[in-house]
Amino acid sequence: MTGRRKRQLANGVQVLLILIAIFVMLVPIIWIFMAAFKNHIDVFQLKLFFKPTLKNFPAVFESPYSLGHKLMNSTLVALVTVLLAIPIATMAAYSFSRFRLTGETTMLVTILATQFVPAVVIILPFFVMFRDLGLLDTRVGLILVNLSIVMPFAIWMIKGFIDGIPLDTEEAAMVDGSSRLQVIRNIVLPMAAPGLLTAGIFCFIIAWNEFLFALILTNKNAVTLPIGLALFKAEEGDLWNLLSAAGIIIMVPMFVLALIIRRYFVQGMTMGAVR
Amino acid sequence: MAEVVLRNLTKRWGDFVGVDNQSLEIRDREFLVLLGPSGCGKTTTMRMIAGLEEPTGGEIWIGDRQVNDDLPKDRDVAMVFQNYGLYPHMTVYDNIAYPLKVRGTPRSEIRHRVEAAATKVELAQFLDRKPRALSGGQRQRVALARAIVRTPKVFLMDEPLSNLDAKLRVTMRAELKHLSRELMITTIYVTHDQIEAMTLADRVAVMKSGIIQQLGTPDEIYNNPANLFVAGFIGSPPMNLITGSIRDGMFVTSGGIRLVPVDSADRQEVVLGVRPDDVRVSEEGQGDIDVRIYAFENTGEATLLTVQWGHQRVIARGDRHLRKDQDDCVSISLMADHLHLFDPQSGVRIAS
Amino acid sequence: MRDATLKYLLVLPAVLVVLATAIWPLIESLRLSFTVGRLNRPGSLDQYLGFENFAWAFLYEPAFWNSVTVTAIYTVLTVALTTILALGLALLLAPGGRFRSGVQALLILPFAMSPALIGVSFRFMFNPEFGLFDAFFGVMIPPLADVSWLADPVLAFAVCVMADVWGWIPFLTLVLIGGLASIPQDTIEAAQVDGASGWRVFRDVTLPQLAPVLGVVVILKSIFSLKTFDQIFMLTNGGPGTATQTLSHYIYFNGMKYGQIGYAASVAWLMVIPMIFLTYAYARFVFRRP
Repeated sequence: MTGRRKRQLANGVQVLLILIAIFVMLVPIIWIFMAAFKNHIDVFQLKLFFKPTLKNFPAVFESPYSLGHKLMNSTLVALVTVLLAIPIATMAAYSFSRFRLTGETTMLVTILATQFVPAVVIILPFFVMFRDLGLLDTRVGLILVNLSIVMPFAIWMIKGFIDGIPLDTEEAAMVDGSSRLQVIRNIVLPMAAPGLLTAGIFCFIIAWNEFLFALILTNKNAVTLPIGLALFKAEEGDLWNLLSAAGIIIMVPMFVLALIIRRYFVQGMTMGAVR
Repeated sequence: MAEVVLRNLTKRWGDFVGVDNQSLEIRDREFLVLLGPSGCGKTTTMRMIAGLEEPTGGEIWIGDRQVNDDLPKDRDVAMVFQNYGLYPHMTVYDNIAYPLKVRGTPRSEIRHRVEAAATKVELAQFLDRKPRALSGGQRQRVALARAIVRTPKVFLMDEPLSNLDAKLRVTMRAELKHLSRELMITTIYVTHDQIEAMTLADRVAVMKSGIIQQLGTPDEIYNNPANLFVAGFIGSPPMNLITGSIRDGMFVTSGGIRLVPVDSADRQEVVLGVRPDDVRVSEEGQGDIDVRIYAFENTGEATLLTVQWGHQRVIARGDRHLRKDQDDCVSISLMADHLHLFDPQSGVRIAS
Repeated sequence: MRDATLKYLLVLPAVLVVLATAIWPLIESLRLSFTVGRLNRPGSLDQYLGFENFAWAFLYEPAFWNSVTVTAIYTVLTVALTTILALGLALLLAPGGRFRSGVQALLILPFAMSPALIGVSFRFMFNPEFGLFDAFFGVMIPPLADVSWLADPVLAFAVCVMADVWGWIPFLTLVLIGGLASIPQDTIEAAQVDGASGWRVFRDVTLPQLAPVLGVVVILKSIFSLKTFDQIFMLTNGGPGTATQTLSHYIYFNGMKYGQIGYAASVAWLMVIPMIFLTYAYARFVFRRP
């Protein structure tokens, strides 16, 4: 076999393997998509071709599921968490990136480490405290606890973006007559804007998908979408068509957001450890 | 416009000494170049003057004001950075206008002065562009325009030409020189390129290991290097350095060859320095010493002959029409009134 | 304001938030782990019993040891499988081009998916009556038809591992593609010119240079595998019996369902210990670079 033929064959095998990988990757997602448009009866018959229906979607918003309330909770909790976390994280990230602080490494490692603390460890004392303060089953409580997972990501990710802004530019602005705060406002924030947006979206996805905190802290008023899934299962047995419709409402907005920040996704997740 | 005075300026990071107890007076309207290899402390010195780096000790004066505790914005200096430090999210116009804007200059005056500065550096037609849409040379000009848009007390330039390609660098060098003569503002210029230093400077401060080795006009530095470091650093190809001794008014190489008469007392150990231009090449038998050619290079504008005897190699610059080949024999003579003698231990020049 | 003051003011809010939301609960959990800590018994949260909770877990709780074993096997399997498969996929996709870049874009999707939803999706697929898997295998390999996947301890565990691997492969693949891209192409070309076969190039040049990234990947995945809760909760809820009960799930059950918050906190702290080692290793990777 000539080298050329060999290479063509190798490439063919590779493409085949990639196609198999795509198939495996997409099947569970497509499965949910299909079920969400099926009638209750079709779910049990495994049909690939069926008469699609849209009625699952209004159904999940009706009583007793009232997904609208959960959707609202999820959106509010994730949004407020992000709006609190990003400004605080940006300030800290700038300082970590540009100055030498006493105990800087200790602080950075600690912040990094808190992200790895199992959620169950964090939630036990919070449950006790919130029970005493009356914060159980409130959005405020959920937001507070969510900050514990979102902050380390946000600080490290934004620090990575600010590290990438050339120091030259800031120094030029200082020599040109800006104070430090003017430098931050006029130079750093505009240049870091895409990074801040990315970090914001990233944290939004994390907060949106958060499960354990919501499971333990909420039961009625502040229930979020992922917990909504669990309640479905408890309430009505397994209504797969409705579960799937709810699943789509949970995942599709996150797909859209993730695709927007695709380029930075990995970088953000590993917080600059891999580059 | 102002003079800049450094008194016992020191910068240390832990054990590492960046700038070691240096004093320097830069005159009003002077163009001073800080020249040295990388890591010699020249950039650190400049950054301390700008206020971007805090001195460990010593004083910095700009005009009649001690500025040690002033923030960069309050020092009234303008700086051109090695990587230009342009604001990528602003247009060329906004970049140039920024120093005026943060100082609250009225709009109409900003417009007037930005346009004047842009015209001076031939950027007038690019004012609406963002920096990324400009070539390297144009970005360099934006940085320059941003510096000259106001009249600061001092210009600071940190290797401003080092990111340009060789051809553009020559053009920009001339433009810079022209501009500096026109503006007559005290300028401190950092470079590792000796040609930039020689061509632009009123005076050059040659630095090594955080210490100024010699301060003088380009002529002085070239013709009377104060020590072995300056002698070896300035000039291309560098000065030939030959070790030997002085006996009865003659320089004798360590190999025992009586090379050339020198005007100095007898010494056991000495280093003789001679620039390639001051080594005359002639046909075999017609000069002071006959040598074999180790390498012959033709640069177009001149020829370079590396000749060798024993373990000693010497570079000579020959006539551009000279044609020789490797292993040919020629004769060289050193021009007696252009020789430099150094003490090999201290490296210091021996007065003759 | 001078930078010397400003720089500390800027980090202050973040430090306070981290202290309040992460460090305090960590310390408070440690305190609780030494108490009787019954949710329904007032005062028991301040009733200390020394190391009794830990001793109880070690000596009298087979369920604790069961969850340790489950978590350990789960972690080893998911880390190994995910890393190997992701490395393979990364090598397939790394060359780039329009087709491969498009596939890379798709990889984001499973990772943006809530783990809880992944759990639901797999439970659905492995339903013995109308799951996709049942249909697929029922046709291809008839003896596997109508197997109750999630009712069998070993099979249920396998399904949990599968769901985890499925959810994590895309992310690790993207990281490894990034790692592959950062290997200087000329070292690979030099090896090719020197006469190395594709496999030799991979083994002698690519793999050693990818090692730091692989290290990070293995550590990160280990940390997340050890913590696993969401999918398991939605997929098997620890069952059948306790066959898929991970440590997180065990802690959740003891703390929240049985109200033994002191005991749960002590087990949670036992779980923190391996995390400390892993985090230390991870921090070394992060801070080793200048």
